[in-house]
Amino acid sequence: MSNSFIGRNPSILWFLLALSVFTIGVTLLSEATGTGLISTSFLKTLGKTLCLCLVAIAMDVVWGYCGILSLGHFAFFGIGGYAIGMWLMYARTEGIVTGSLSGSALPPTPQEVTDAIGTQIFGVVGSSEFPALWAFSHSLPLQLLAVVAVPGLLALVFGWLAFRSRVTGVYLSILTQAMTLALSLYFFQNDTGLRGNNGLSGLQNIPGLEAVPQATISLWFFWASAVALALGYILFAWVVSGKLGSVIRAIRDNEARVRFLGYHVESYKLFVFTLTAMVAGIAGALYYPQAGIINPAEIAPIASIYLAVWVAIGGRGRLYGAVIGAALVSLLSSWFTGGSAPPINLGFYVVKWTEWWLVLLGLSFVAVTLFFPKGIGGIFDYFERKRLPDRQGDYGPDKGALRQQEGVE
Amino acid sequence: MLRALLICIAILFSAPAAFSQTLQEVLQANSGAVSSPSRGTVDSLIEALSANPPPGVPEFLEQWRDRNVWMRESDGMFFYAVEQGDGLVLTDIDTGAEQTIDDDAGFDQLRPNAGVRRVVGSALVQFLLSDPDIGRREAALTSISRDPSADQLAPLRASIEDEPDTDILARKVQLERQLTAQFGDTAAERIEAIEYLSGDLSVEVRGVLSQILNARQGVAPELPQDTNVARILEPGEDMTIDEAYALLVDADLAPSTVSPGDIKTALTERIEDGQVNGIPVATLNTDAARIAAYQSLVDAGEAAPFITPEERAAAAAAHVFYVSYTEPNSDITAAAEEAERAIAVRLGVGQATDLTLDALSLASIYFLAAIGLAITFGVMGVINMAHGEFIMMGAYTGYVVQLFIPDYTLSIIVALPLAFAVTFGAGVAMERLVIRWLYHRPLETLLATFGISIALQQLAKNIFGTQARPLTSPDWLAGAWVLNDVVQISYIRIAIFVLALIFLALILFILKRTRLGLEVRAVTQNPGMAASMGINPDRINMLTFGLGSGIAGIAGVAIGLYAKVTSEMGSDYIVQSFMTVVVGGVGNVWGTLAGASLIGFTQKGIEWFNPSNTLAAQTFMILFVILFIQFRPKGIVALKGRAAGD
Amino acid sequence: MSTLLEVSGVSVTFDGFRAINNLSIQIAEPELRAVIGPNGAGKTTFMDIITGKTKPDEGRVIFGEKSVNLLGMSESQIAQAGIGRKFQKPTVFEAQTVRENIVMALKNPRGPFDVLFKRRADAREERVREISDEIGLTEALDQTSGALSHGQKQWLEIGMLLAQDPRLLLVDEPAAGMTPQEREHTTDLLVRAARTRAVVVVEHDMEFVRRLNCKVTVLHEGSVLAEGSLDHVTKNKDVVDVYLGR
Repeated sequence: MSNSFIGRNPSILWFLLALSVFTIGVTLLSEATGTGLISTSFLKTLGKTLCLCLVAIAMDVVWGYCGILSLGHFAFFGIGGYAIGMWLMYARTEGIVTGSLSGSALPPTPQEVTDAIGTQIFGVVGSSEFPALWAFSHSLPLQLLAVVAVPGLLALVFGWLAFRSRVTGVYLSILTQAMTLALSLYFFQNDTGLRGNNGLSGLQNIPGLEAVPQATISLWFFWASAVALALGYILFAWVVSGKLGSVIRAIRDNEARVRFLGYHVESYKLFVFTLTAMVAGIAGALYYPQAGIINPAEIAPIASIYLAVWVAIGGRGRLYGAVIGAALVSLLSSWFTGGSAPPINLGFYVVKWTEWWLVLLGLSFVAVTLFFPKGIGGIFDYFERKRLPDRQGDYGPDKGALRQQEGVE
Repeated sequence: MLRALLICIAILFSAPAAFSQTLQEVLQANSGAVSSPSRGTVDSLIEALSANPPPGVPEFLEQWRDRNVWMRESDGMFFYAVEQGDGLVLTDIDTGAEQTIDDDAGFDQLRPNAGVRRVVGSALVQFLLSDPDIGRREAALTSISRDPSADQLAPLRASIEDEPDTDILARKVQLERQLTAQFGDTAAERIEAIEYLSGDLSVEVRGVLSQILNARQGVAPELPQDTNVARILEPGEDMTIDEAYALLVDADLAPSTVSPGDIKTALTERIEDGQVNGIPVATLNTDAARIAAYQSLVDAGEAAPFITPEERAAAAAAHVFYVSYTEPNSDITAAAEEAERAIAVRLGVGQATDLTLDALSLASIYFLAAIGLAITFGVMGVINMAHGEFIMMGAYTGYVVQLFIPDYTLSIIVALPLAFAVTFGAGVAMERLVIRWLYHRPLETLLATFGISIALQQLAKNIFGTQARPLTSPDWLAGAWVLNDVVQISYIRIAIFVLALIFLALILFILKRTRLGLEVRAVTQNPGMAASMGINPDRINMLTFGLGSGIAGIAGVAIGLYAKVTSEMGSDYIVQSFMTVVVGGVGNVWGTLAGASLIGFTQKGIEWFNPSNTLAAQTFMILFVILFIQFRPKGIVALKGRAAGD
Repeated sequence: MSTLLEVSGVSVTFDGFRAINNLSIQIAEPELRAVIGPNGAGKTTFMDIITGKTKPDEGRVIFGEKSVNLLGMSESQIAQAGIGRKFQKPTVFEAQTVRENIVMALKNPRGPFDVLFKRRADAREERVREISDEIGLTEALDQTSGALSHGQKQWLEIGMLLAQDPRLLLVDEPAAGMTPQEREHTTDLLVRAARTRAVVVVEHDMEFVRRLNCKVTVLHEGSVLAEGSLDHVTKNKDVVDVYLGR
């Protein structure tokens, strides 16, 4: 069965091959192996990019395949980051606090240790109590579970509410955007117990691995991100192939018709929405230890919109398109905004890319939607010479069917 | 007081010759009473000063009271003086001329005793209260109400009769009632004053009442007879046993409990060779172990014993806990409580009114921000993510206009149509260049307009910088309409409300009464049919989009007037605007109005419950909207029937 | 022959306009029934009510031996209960191949996890062939259905309807845009299908209805005007009035 599955989806093999070549290449050039051509900070950037590619694939499945333009998947990504960040911060502070308390006359009681950790972590927001949200922060397995479970549950509840009331199209997008805004406002509050706009920091220090140099840890995370991306790619390729893929693409193109075929459209949407949210959480949990810091601004609606931008530029409805888009745009973004791009002197005005990159991105995005709706991935069609539908039928009963430009695979 | 003093000095300079006798002369005439004042002589001096008052009497009294009057021993002349090193800075009492001397020998400081100073103080109040200058009378009243005391009552009452100005008279009467309520001689008098005040919402009156009702917690073995008890506190009901016991400890009625900190200190003090009383220190890493070790110390008689919960409960039960008023008369406190209740009710009504006005103005802002969006969304099914940036463009237009036209009234009058024109143009351009090519692909329109939104935002940042730019409102829009101490609303919010009403009327007029409106409605309902009737849908779409964008520009000017103009201001409003449109129902002006009202009122309502946290209010607001959509997926004003489609 | 579907006393109002007015119809199993009527008679709304797209203001719709109330069910539940519908305009999933379209319609468990994990292809391939032979699209199985002609799309949709294996087929103007031969084929197909199940055909074309040779229900202004054989109803004075005008 596996043979026929890969046989029917040759792009998986190509993708895995490219990913392994890239991973081996980067490993050989990294500081940890001595070559040092790729600095540790750039290695982190590459590792983070792989995580962004993973969340972009999830976004592509929910949007490109299922037609739900979710403006909330980056929030799920952030929640994954927060979930792992809570353990990282707790465990590391515990180490520091135990060290400093060991000097005191009496050995500390568990309560004293907890209080001291609380003071350390929540001092910035003027509190020392552990909020209920941190109840499991001492336990790595439970927080790892939270990485998947919290985004999944949130997506399940929100999706159930939204899909049940048959909110579709732009309405649904707006509603997901509202959800994201509500989440980020919630995280911004000091009394939420997630350190308000300070966020969680120092996440690059892995408790128990203080002796291992950052160069090595970064490489490990890079590998983990590559493996997660590969597994995520295979998982989603499996999900969108075969009959399930057929049904969700049908939902995208004409939801009402699928309903009359006897499919419970809502459960399919809910399945896709929740699954992708969980994968987004995993991607976030791998991303933020490499970034070192997470704060509520990362969750703001704008981040989720950028995610949609990456997928659109890379090409919707094909998984490798999302990877290309995410990798290209996020790397270009950091190159341009990092100040390393050379300014252009027009004689009367000097174009500094730190100022003009967003203008360029916004306009190129408009250009892509207008002129290349298939995105960069569309280039591959020229090589494959796929036969495209050359006839357009009548419009169906639902406006969803009007989107004829999408979904050509 | 300082202002009174300054006015006083000014008068001293302006018209000294108008009076027959100068202050110095009057003082010299009563020299003995001034230089060595006593309770017996001071009254006659004040009588002399007030019989035919020369200018500068209040200042003299003040300086005298504050021991700043000095006498030159050589000729008995009086001066105001400030010590400077060993010397003095002398001020002539009549002319105000200053002179500095190096040595204070030969000068005596006059030191009236406390009794005299009190008499002088109240005389001073009387002088100021019946001063011919209205400003000084007002200043005196303000100073009394800021720091009321019993001895001001009599002079205040005395000054009421001759008060010529009706406003000041009203204030005096009001203040007299407040003072009487607090310091009146008889209980009956005070109760009457309190009842008089019970209709007043002002902060002063509320302060007076809370002063009267000042209470403190007490504990005693038995309820004391002579106190005015507000209520009895039951340990276990009104307070926990531990809190009650802590009160007992504070009142020295019980021995203090042993806290974990005490245990730790006691144990730490007795560490010997890594052991406490024979117990290894390393084992003391749980609370239970520490308590056990401490108990062993107690058993050895080396530490204070624990107080068991039973002992604490018994101690608490053996005492009476109560709250008592500082005011001993229970009739007065009862009257004050009654008055406070009456005020609380009126205060509640006032605050509710205030909140309603607030919500109304918030709703009008949302309406202004959202109506343009509603038009484009409703008529064309197009989501314009750059709508917020059109709001921003409008606000920046206002800012730029103010750079060229310094007169704020004129600049607003110019800015409003100009902002409309600018954003109308931008909207038409966007429709022709982008949106026209994306009809029937609503999700892609959303994304393309989002691209425009990022580009516009960054462009604004590049041009105007990241810091906020002011958009100043004209003077006649500054200030607020004050209904009473609780209810007030700033003129700018009223203006925005009026603007929202104007736009509501205007849009209704355009849609219902003009040819354009007819064509717009025709295109909304059936573009194909409309086209075959000779209506050009492209033109209608373009105009509609321009109109919606233009209104966003005007909303931008209005919002910029009361909030700061920044490149990110658009994104602050965009989600709320979408919420408004979605909640209200698409394609309907009344729907937008209903949506804006619902969102504005709900948000203010949530803030009412949790005033400190506006972030939480917004969070709950959004949750509310998400839940609302569950019950009315098509909004408050939904299109019905087959036309609504799926 | 037992009653499969019973619609009784159903009314629907859109913004004050009564699209369906106290409509009562019974369909037996097996039966072939043609529903005709002028524009606005409520034919499509009648189908919308049965398939759950429109909820009526009053009335009852009962289905099957167990007398299931269709009004309390969602579209997908109704479809799973055994009611298939073909729309007036052909609505197939144009971005997908003919095979994918048919496979999606095949009578199989409809839950997401069933669909995800039960990927056995052998048994269903046979059935897909059977259907594609019936609708003459075997050659085009791996073509994108967007590339089919209008008539072929009609066939594909009928094929999808057959793949669902419903007990009640609701067919809205199946012959629109077909050549005379194709019409004949369609008639055969419907007549054959009606031997084992109930088929309701909404049609304008009298010639087509005549060829179906079945009981005819005439709708007018949302209620039944006449019922019986085609000859019988065409002689009915009311029907003549409605169709030809007074």
